[in-house]
Amino acid sequence: MGFTLDIFRYDDKIDAEPHRDRVEIDQPTTMTVLDALEYAKAEVDGSISFRRSCRSAICGSCSMNINGTTGLACKTPVSQVLKSDNSVSVDPMPNFQPMKDLVVHMDPFWDKYNRLKPYLQPADKDEDHERERRVSPEDMKKLVAVANCVMCATCYALCPVVSVDPAFAGPAAIAYAFRFIEDVRDSKRKERAAQISDDYLWLCAHCYACSYCPKHVDPHDDIIAVKRATIEEGLTNHAGPRHALVVAKTIKQTGMLHESEVVQGTVGRFNIRGLLKQTPMMIRMVKAGKLPPFFLKPVPKVDEIRTIFNTLEAPTL
Amino acid sequence: MATVMEQPALRRQSKSAQMRKYGFFPGCVAKESCKELFNSTLLLAEKLGIELVELTAASCCGASVLNDTNRDVARVLNARTYAQAEALGLDDVITICSTCTGHMRAANKELMESEAHMGQANAILGKFGAKYEGTVMVRHLLWLLIDDIGLDELKKMVVKPLNGLKVAPFYGCHIIRPESVNGWESARNPHSLEDIIEVLGGEAIDYAGKTRCCGFHVQLEKDGIAANMVGQNMRMAKDKGAEAVLTPCPLCHLALDGYQADSAARWGRTDLPTFHLPQLVAIALGIDPSLLGMNKHMIPPGLVLQSHDLAPAHVA
Repeated sequence: MGFTLDIFRYDDKIDAEPHRDRVEIDQPTTMTVLDALEYAKAEVDGSISFRRSCRSAICGSCSMNINGTTGLACKTPVSQVLKSDNSVSVDPMPNFQPMKDLVVHMDPFWDKYNRLKPYLQPADKDEDHERERRVSPEDMKKLVAVANCVMCATCYALCPVVSVDPAFAGPAAIAYAFRFIEDVRDSKRKERAAQISDDYLWLCAHCYACSYCPKHVDPHDDIIAVKRATIEEGLTNHAGPRHALVVAKTIKQTGMLHESEVVQGTVGRFNIRGLLKQTPMMIRMVKAGKLPPFFLKPVPKVDEIRTIFNTLEAPTL
Repeated sequence: MATVMEQPALRRQSKSAQMRKYGFFPGCVAKESCKELFNSTLLLAEKLGIELVELTAASCCGASVLNDTNRDVARVLNARTYAQAEALGLDDVITICSTCTGHMRAANKELMESEAHMGQANAILGKFGAKYEGTVMVRHLLWLLIDDIGLDELKKMVVKPLNGLKVAPFYGCHIIRPESVNGWESARNPHSLEDIIEVLGGEAIDYAGKTRCCGFHVQLEKDGIAANMVGQNMRMAKDKGAEAVLTPCPLCHLALDGYQADSAARWGRTDLPTFHLPQLVAIALGIDPSLLGMNKHMIPPGLVLQSHDLAPAHVA
């Protein structure tokens, strides 16, 4: 019985540097990490700061880094994450500025969410309503998963793109864009698609780090659906959609993803500045003798591949 | 209304030595800019005594971007590939790319779990006389090495141990995530690459970047993004003492090998040579490194290999 809680301590109003406190918890490891923090705060040091409310994975307040990976403290039993030295380390979520101990400044996350105008905008909103706006169970089904999002920001904290480029909207905001883009009652599909496209939708690196969502929203599939929606809405004058569509084009033509054509098609054949930016990598590849071929012979039976594209009316560049 | 079929297995029982004949799906990058991966795989297969039957008429797996344009096309293209394997009497499709692995397995899962998806695919395949029966399993070479050859057997085959070479495993994404699709090992705490490195006589470096993204899929979206992601991960590896990197994915390889030069400004110089999985295994199994395309790397691995007595002076 008993374990050590290794806690990140910092106050951005006072401390120049963070430090760590190790608190002995003389309690069974069947408790959750949040229980352990509550115990430490109540019994050992009342100044330990963290966010929490519901204690049952509904409010989304207590997301933090537990042994180096992000999740809800209230949903994580100590026994599941105990390190070999019988300790659990807790840190503030990465990709956020720490405020005090495990509390972070959430503003960038909420800003990106608010930019979406995260409320229903029906076409008939100014009319008097005698009736409710009804949605068929079939239409609602695809929104059920994202409706479970509690905005705990776990996905945002885990996102490797956010970590190097804070301009990226992040998984949760895109999942919320999906929630309204796919809602049959909403009338702003194109505006929403344009907005999220401007917030670097296409910077999603397809890494599936957001598949660790504690509420199983798994935003990656929603992100892909939003990308398709932007293409359907004709928002294709951008490196991201061009990339997807030129990949489709080369597969339809040759059966293969034709690397050199994909680079030209994505950057733009006449985008001299963009192509120049690719030249250092090109030179390195030439030097190593690994420049991909400029011409590709189609794979055998490529007609079958074209039949698949044509039957499904799959778009290409 | 589609009925959900029995949950397909994520992992296959190992194949006995007499049955080691596999469908081989090299993917596009191993046939274009990373030919050294393709060649090393064939040399390693010969050494291991396994037969790889290349699916030469297969298409691209969809490379994770085809889903951005149409939700069905990648699935049906992959069904066509599986039908080709079945027609050759093969029930395994072996990949040497993480992105191929993840996306082909995702497509296969959808086909197996939904009669609607399988029906749609076979209706289109029927136009050219093909049919997918649903017997194929997509497996990465990494898993084949561990499940079918076995770590003990592999250890016995090592003739040129890596002499404590400090290797940072780099899983990247699509061979581990999402776990519901891959599921061969824990996505948060994988250790297959570490097991391989140690069996070969190397020392596996533990660092947080090993399961993070290389940025390959967004290298063209915005300047410097992939270089930053590469730099961040390689900095962690270098700080833990890594001398080289091992990856099961040619897309990760292109990013790690190619962008460390660009990430130096922000993350400091790392210059870690990166090996494709079959290259490093082949070296330890005694295959001449000069046959494994070491000169096709943007960060030459020659010096690191020579410092551990693993390659003669003429290797790049």
